[in-house]
Amino acid sequence: MILATLYSFLASLGFAIVFNIRGKNILIASIGGSFSWFIYLLMQNLHNSNTVSLFVAAFLVSIYSEVMARLFKSPVTTYTICGIIPLVPGNGMYYTMYYTISGNINKSTLTGLQTLTDAGAIAIAIVMVSSLSKLLFLKKKKVM
Amino acid sequence: MDTNRVLNAATKAGKMMLESGGETYRVEETMVRISLALGVKSIDVYATPTVIILSAKDEHNNNHSTLQRTYGATFNLDKISKINDLSRSIERKHLTIDDLEREISVIEHQKGYPDVLTILSSALAAGFFTLLFSGSIKDFFCAVFIGAIIKYTIISLSKFSVYSFFINLVGGMEAALLAILLYKLNLCTHYDKTIIGAIMLLVPGLAITNAIRDTINGDLVSSVTRTVEAVFIAIGIAVGTGMVFKICFRLFGGMNL
Repeated sequence: MILATLYSFLASLGFAIVFNIRGKNILIASIGGSFSWFIYLLMQNLHNSNTVSLFVAAFLVSIYSEVMARLFKSPVTTYTICGIIPLVPGNGMYYTMYYTISGNINKSTLTGLQTLTDAGAIAIAIVMVSSLSKLLFLKKKKVM
Repeated sequence: MDTNRVLNAATKAGKMMLESGGETYRVEETMVRISLALGVKSIDVYATPTVIILSAKDEHNNNHSTLQRTYGATFNLDKISKINDLSRSIERKHLTIDDLEREISVIEHQKGYPDVLTILSSALAAGFFTLLFSGSIKDFFCAVFIGAIIKYTIISLSKFSVYSFFINLVGGMEAALLAILLYKLNLCTHYDKTIIGAIMLLVPGLAITNAIRDTINGDLVSSVTRTVEAVFIAIGIAVGTGMVFKICFRLFGGMNL
């Protein structure tokens, strides 16, 4: 599990450079990536379904990104993208394609639906966090 | 105050942000912030991933408008961050239009990471994704090799402004073809893990994230455009890998890959 976290850190690091992130932001963004994968594995070890694990991981990493964006005054996307990248269901996409090509319609529909649900879970997690943070932020502005 | 110059600078900043992969609301907000800070009376901006329309009133109530077509999106989150900072610092540091124009052109001419570094880092990213999806150490090296070739193809194809669907199709084909070839040569143990690691480089992460964020902010036109873009990229990858698989099944017969 620690090894997997290290792998996801390095993978996100690669992506951070591909996305042209610079300076200390590279490190913060890659830590986000390893954090999300760690949470995902942790949730799976606690016998949660794949979708729930993805949702919780995406939710927490979005909170992390929002906090870091406020702290270091960078756009939120800088951190969100690298944090979310390891969770993106590339696995599911591949197997959906594979089963479709090999003519196994039952399995391809199943994995296709699962992939869509997974992607939806991640999307909803991002939506919830950024809507909540917007609410909090507005409240702060009015008070001040 | 020269309204035309201000609006030109704002449009240039907006165009750069949009082409670096910024969210729609951030582009609109930045352009409004720049213009208002430099003394434009009122302004309306409408941005989509392909066009920015801007209309403003100066102090004599004359209307000015610009329309800027934008082409393609690259990834340069650093540029977005810098322009965002710049627009916020205008009021704080009392920048004039000359300072702003200078700063914008500095950011515009700033070079991204050299191609070699990008290729190297995406190769490593592909390799570590393979390990993440429980590939073996042999698969790691295969994915690194394939990842480097895919990134090289992306960079060289985008110089000819090829449509992104085709780029992803070629990327998917390369991933599948090379992985199966290496598998046949007995250099990798799981061709599927290798392919998954390699196609993670093509997965439209930025397009999806931006589509979601545009949806929340109510920029529905942009969100639909970006969702379609993401879906087409995904279809491109699937078609690319699928074509190679289909051909291989025909050549080698059945599923005994």
